[in-house]
Amino acid sequence: MIFKNGDSFDRKFLVTETVYNGFIATFKDTNPLHTDEAFAIAHGFEGRVMHGNILNGFLSYFIGECLPDKNVIILSQEIQFKKPVYLHDELLFNAQITNVSEAVKAVEFKFTFKNPAGKVVSKGQIQIGLLA
Amino acid sequence: MDKSEALQKVNAIFIDVLDDEDLVLDYTTSADDVEDWDSLNHIQLVVAVEKAFKIRFTSQEIQSWNNVGEMLDCILSKGA
Repeated sequence: MIFKNGDSFDRKFLVTETVYNGFIATFKDTNPLHTDEAFAIAHGFEGRVMHGNILNGFLSYFIGECLPDKNVIILSQEIQFKKPVYLHDELLFNAQITNVSEAVKAVEFKFTFKNPAGKVVSKGQIQIGLLA
Repeated sequence: MDKSEALQKVNAIFIDVLDDEDLVLDYTTSADDVEDWDSLNHIQLVVAVEKAFKIRFTSQEIQSWNNVGEMLDCILSKGA
């Protein structure tokens, strides 16, 4: 098993115009919180709040492209959104392995995304399986 | 813990993982008898059992099980 309990992975993810516009073009979520600056500010935010599920895209990329083994499948995932993410935010992502089940080749990670101020904007857990 | 108590604990795990409140396991139950006990759910079931009983299985052990009773024997053999 290439994965070990306690293994840690770090990456940076940038919420670019391309990511933001691509998400809207794909999923059609144009809720004003995400698209109307004045609306978002009127509700106490600094600007348009990025869709939380953009972070799920980053998670998908991490699992699918950044691990040392590409023979992986996401089995389950939990995510909490703690603070808003804004356009052009650079997010520091960390994932640590919390459980490895050799018998069924399953690996569990806990992860966090931190904003430029170092605050956790999102956290959760992912369980993956290693394909035979 | 005896085998009957282990069965109750494993049954509760299966109910949770498979989202089937009516599921009743016995010692002879196998994957063929439970509609949603497929290969992906099997991973979740094994991981959940390992955590609940604080034990680890080997791949050889889980491949040797023919039914729930044999899973329970394996669990109990680890001192759970």
